[in-house]
Amino acid sequence: MIDDTSSDDDIIDERIRALAAGHFNAPAGDPPRDAMWEGIAAARRAARASGAAASNAETTHAPIAPTTISITPLIERRSHAAAWRWGAALAAGLILGIVVDRRMAHESSSSAIPPVAVAPSNASPRDTATRPLTPDTQRNPVPVSDQSVAQAPKSVTPRTPSILDRSSPSTMNARPLASRAPLDSAARSLYRVAATQTLVQAEALLTAYRADQSSRDPQVMLQAARWARDVLSSTRLLIDSPAGRDPQMRALLSDLELILAQLVQLSGTPLDANERDLIERAMRERDLLPRLRSAVPAGLATS
Amino acid sequence: MDERELIARARMGDEAAERALYDAHVDRVYWLAYRMCGRTDLAQDLTQDVFIRTFERLGDYRGDAPFRSWLNAITTSVVLNGLRKLKRFDAREAVLDEAAMVTVATREAEPDLKERMAQAIDALPEGCRITFLMHDVEGFTHEEIGTALGTTAGTSKAQLSRARAKLRIALADFVGEWIQ
Repeated sequence: MIDDTSSDDDIIDERIRALAAGHFNAPAGDPPRDAMWEGIAAARRAARASGAAASNAETTHAPIAPTTISITPLIERRSHAAAWRWGAALAAGLILGIVVDRRMAHESSSSAIPPVAVAPSNASPRDTATRPLTPDTQRNPVPVSDQSVAQAPKSVTPRTPSILDRSSPSTMNARPLASRAPLDSAARSLYRVAATQTLVQAEALLTAYRADQSSRDPQVMLQAARWARDVLSSTRLLIDSPAGRDPQMRALLSDLELILAQLVQLSGTPLDANERDLIERAMRERDLLPRLRSAVPAGLATS
Repeated sequence: MDERELIARARMGDEAAERALYDAHVDRVYWLAYRMCGRTDLAQDLTQDVFIRTFERLGDYRGDAPFRSWLNAITTSVVLNGLRKLKRFDAREAVLDEAAMVTVATREAEPDLKERMAQAIDALPEGCRITFLMHDVEGFTHEEIGTALGTTAGTSKAQLSRARAKLRIALADFVGEWIQ
């Protein structure tokens, strides 16, 4: 009896397996290898270019931090100065957030393709895949200066949204294209604004942290932790949003999340050398500040 | 040039080596993605994401396991995350379309075997469905599935057993003919 049941199950399983192999999402034709590769290769080139830009920027910014730290002789005076700097940085971040918001809202309402300057690290594979690689971009693919960033929108083809940015086929069919297009454009604009705001905040936070990482004032550290928690929440939301679909942006947000998660742990007690070293090393190894500065549109960075 | 050498060169940013690795594995990645999502456009997006992430993380590959297994793990992770995001989006959209769906949902003809099977596979719990598709349809071993899903071969066997049992029940109407 048991053998019969087992044998029957085997027969049924084999029929289901054959049926599934033949009919459930069965392969048809060859995959579009070359078309997919174009997108991958473009994303890889952009990643290599942004990596080179980050290392260039790091050499420009790195020597500043130790000098700033070494000129604060007294603990008390340092604490006051630190508190003032954290407050100022926080205020600057908030004001910049509002400025970014207004600027991008204005730009998105004044044109169908918002002419927001986008640093190379923001470019998605589909952006670059649809953009012809001119001899100029081949020779100098790393636009890090303000001038080149400002020129970027002129040559960038509007992004074709990834399939994951769009709705499912059933719902896409249910809604007419004409009514969906403005929604998509507005949504993209909103995500871009949110991403830029978060990156501006993060840059301000990390710059302030670097300047005051040896602070012994518990209030200053608690303030930093609270600020980091806010930015961390926004970062995590962005990672799961369509903004996180861009591979470069996702990588940047993931690295940022890691650092912020460490900063959130600041409890008000002075950091010991190991903790400081871990955070500092993580920031340095991921080129975080230079990448943040590259990702923030020209003129909006806090430093 | 063997795979180890290709990986070493790809790590140093050699685009030709990246292309060679891509050519060697793209079909398997694409078809697995397609089996799991059932849409060519989505499968293409997911395949691109898989290789972009693979090349970004190539420095983390230590060579302990075969490259194919490591790539399978990235593929399943990317595809499952993509499908979950899509599902969340669909769930939100479904609420909006709910009223229309109710009026449209009139009784239709009894779905035939293929449709019933597709519905049954789609209705399987995620772990069971992925394991069934990888093992019974795409021919992965339990060890490969365990590595790809971050579980063990034993878990994979258990998931497959559950999946088959559920499918047998779901297709019970047709089972009589098959046994005869």
